[in-house]
Amino acid sequence: MAWIYLLPAAVLLLGLLAVPLAATLPAGLPLMPQLFGDASLLQVSGNTLAFAGITVALELVLGVLFALLLNQPLRGQGPVRAVAILPWALPTAVMALAWRWIFNDTYGIANDLPVRLGLLSEPVAWLGRPALAFATIVVADVWKTTPFVTILLLAGLQSVPDDLHEAMRIDGAGPVRRFFWITLPMLRPAIGLAITFRLIHALGIFDLVWVLTGGGPANATKTIALYIYDQFFRYGQLAYGAALTIVAALAMFVLAGAAGALIRGRARG
Amino acid sequence: MRRPASSAARGAARGLLAVLLALALVGCAEEPEGIRLRFLDRPDEGGAWAEILSRFEERHPEIDVELVEGPTSTDTREGMYATTFLSGEATYDIVYMDVIWVPRFADRGWLLPLDDRFPEAEREAFLPGDVAGSVFEGSVYRVPLRADAGVLFYRSDLIEEPPETFAELVRLCERHQDPPDRHGFLFQGQQYEGLVCSFLEVLWGHGGRVLDRDGRVVLDGPEGHAALDWLVDLVGRVTPEAVTTYQEEESRHVFHEGRALFLRNWPYVWSKAQAADSPVRGKVGIAPMVHAPGGESSAALGGWGFGIASSCPHPDAAWRFIEFATSAEAMRILNERNGAIPARRALYRDPELLRRHPHYSQLYEVLLRSRPRPVHPRYAEISDAIQMHVSAALVGEETPDEAIERAGDQIRGILDR
Amino acid sequence: MKRAGLGFAVLLLIGFSTGPFLWSVVTSVKPAEEIYEAPPTYLPEEISTESYTEVFARRPFGRYLLNSLIVAAGSTLVALLAGSLAAYGLARLGLPGAGGIERAILFFALFPPAVLLVPLFSVARQLGLINSYLGLILVHAALNLPFVVWTLGAFFRGFPREIEEAARVDGFSRLRILVRIVLPLSAPAIAATAILTFIFSWNEFVIALTFMQRDAMRTVPVGISMLSGATVYDVPWGQISAAIVMTTLPVVAAVLAFQRWILRGLTAGSIKG
Repeated sequence: MAWIYLLPAAVLLLGLLAVPLAATLPAGLPLMPQLFGDASLLQVSGNTLAFAGITVALELVLGVLFALLLNQPLRGQGPVRAVAILPWALPTAVMALAWRWIFNDTYGIANDLPVRLGLLSEPVAWLGRPALAFATIVVADVWKTTPFVTILLLAGLQSVPDDLHEAMRIDGAGPVRRFFWITLPMLRPAIGLAITFRLIHALGIFDLVWVLTGGGPANATKTIALYIYDQFFRYGQLAYGAALTIVAALAMFVLAGAAGALIRGRARG
Repeated sequence: MRRPASSAARGAARGLLAVLLALALVGCAEEPEGIRLRFLDRPDEGGAWAEILSRFEERHPEIDVELVEGPTSTDTREGMYATTFLSGEATYDIVYMDVIWVPRFADRGWLLPLDDRFPEAEREAFLPGDVAGSVFEGSVYRVPLRADAGVLFYRSDLIEEPPETFAELVRLCERHQDPPDRHGFLFQGQQYEGLVCSFLEVLWGHGGRVLDRDGRVVLDGPEGHAALDWLVDLVGRVTPEAVTTYQEEESRHVFHEGRALFLRNWPYVWSKAQAADSPVRGKVGIAPMVHAPGGESSAALGGWGFGIASSCPHPDAAWRFIEFATSAEAMRILNERNGAIPARRALYRDPELLRRHPHYSQLYEVLLRSRPRPVHPRYAEISDAIQMHVSAALVGEETPDEAIERAGDQIRGILDR
Repeated sequence: MKRAGLGFAVLLLIGFSTGPFLWSVVTSVKPAEEIYEAPPTYLPEEISTESYTEVFARRPFGRYLLNSLIVAAGSTLVALLAGSLAAYGLARLGLPGAGGIERAILFFALFPPAVLLVPLFSVARQLGLINSYLGLILVHAALNLPFVVWTLGAFFRGFPREIEEAARVDGFSRLRILVRIVLPLSAPAIAATAILTFIFSWNEFVIALTFMQRDAMRTVPVGISMLSGATVYDVPWGQISAAIVMTTLPVVAAVLAFQRWILRGLTAGSIKG
């Protein structure tokens, strides 16, 4: 009887996603050995891991701070929360175009403003150097997806009972101690969730990079999703694309699942 | 407090569900009688397609041709064509394609060969580069419509005679430049297809090629080394470092504002430069790209034309449309309404067109020298290898010698697979 | 002192969140020539609505907004319905292997939509779901389902079982417990999930592009990708900025409405007591 609860979800997932996956992926199995000799794969995997690690860490720190802030009883709390979600509400592919404009060496404010403030002596080609371009996509992604973490954690904070805080306050514990002793442990499930899904999204980053840098310069910002897209749609290497997809998905599953589980710890019990 | 909110939510949810179901039923439209053909292009600027389609349907009322307007990004539209062909569906009967798609689409069997319908004799009427780019393994798959070719723009108010050789170009830059207010030479240096076009023109000007006539990789010969050396040496000397962020428009704006002497770009720059409010109005000249002493200029060929999808159930009707859409009449409409450069040679002797575009006589010289990029079904991979290593050389991650050797090896690896 | 610090932090947050967006707002109301002025102007010298009128003149943008709204609202609804049932089933009903099933569901979240595109398109075509809202709604819902199941599951597990057990003693059925007790108690989680899911669908590009081939059925991100300038190479920054502003404002309004409606009720909610 209880299985009926799973029926709608099962129909959607199996009917719409499992069938296409089953049709695409098996072709890749015989090509798995080729992956080992692929030098580009090594580079794009490195880029992707670095990107995901850095962005998720930054987003988590910012997200916790923002969520705590938004959980304070403030005047205008509703509007401020709505504003905090704004970056997530913008379509990535479109916002990436806006970033191109912002980081333009001649017309962009990412140059004009620092030059006016005296922080830079001359305009910088932000997207023109490998390390700078990488930093630029990190900034753009952190800006865009921090709200995702904020919202999840904000919802998590609602389940932290006030009376626990009250009790510790009476015992003389300061806000920092209360945060580490009560809030953080109670937030573990929400943080675990945020990490799992943010890692999955970050490891699969596509639109932002595609529009902002196209993977350049010198492939410094090319990620695994871009590489897979190329195999399928530009190179016509469907089987090899499928092989890549299988391996990438397994790696993501392990990484995202492990990181999330580690945080959630025994909270799942 | 919660109760009214949640019952309102349930009410809203129920209403929404009903609307959704109704809308799902409306989604299916009925098919009209007669033959219907579709093709995909960017949105119809200036209404050129609307006029061509209505003129065609006046003459062939039994054939209904529909333009599906897609995104402006060429890559995205290539993906849309590829998706429908891969899933074996006849969404698009006519394929409006960029010249670089031809080998791959033909190799996968997505296109109908047009050898009988478009015989050698008729191909003579079109620009030779555009025809060459439409042929794959001896068969023709595309009828050219709009041409495009890389051109060197220069500031005719500052430079009397356009340079002919690579060395002259650099010398003129050094004499007249005043960075950052006035740079020397601009090209498209971001890691994308435009970088390949910029690089190939320099490579060809040095007498090099990517593949020789037998399909062997010769990119990393002495000409390739010289070409990349020259290009990399420009950066920081006569070309701003930001060139590695430039696509067409970024580079054009710098030139348009009067802040550069030379610009490698496509012919569309001309009409923008001649607009009433343009800072460089009347100060811009067109010349073929420079070359090595004793060599000759070449231009990377861009351009669009029509093919027939092999899944098209009405190839004869499709051909009737293609004949009309690639006629001089249609090319005039496209030229007038959205500035498309015609692919038929006869139009460059047309007094009306020359009166409207006095620069077409110079442009014609460049178009005659335009060359297709390597015609190979795995061109996309070859292009990516060139993009990656030329980009790495421009930003100093690899020396020019390393970059050209690695690009050559990588392309060999691609062709061997 | 603490108030001032808090106020400053809020200002920082607002600046961080709105900065790049405000730049789009400024760009969208500049006349075309001013957009390409170097150095850029921070307050437009002249306010112009030409970018906005241009967007509507070139594309049926109002229709795109409506389409996006229908698809995003529909897929959010479907994902929440199917997802909350599944999450409750897995979290509370003691199904054998529930943990494994949950992980298997997560597996579906790992595939970028682009990879699924070709077979998904074939399936949708056979079912007659091309150019229909329903097709896109179901696919977006399916793609969001793992996220919904996991998020709601995590919250359902956080509830004290006693409340549900008390209700069972009172003779409530499982479904009634879910609808009457668990879901209202999970309001914050549902609101958060709904917002994130809605926006995901609102922004999705590649499947919307492929599934909707008639212009009248297209969604906003696809519509924006079709904005163009006078030539093939033009990037119409003014129009793009105007479109960004118009796309975002409805979402912000919706979020604001959602906040008032659900998150408020929760602060006084019963989970604490």
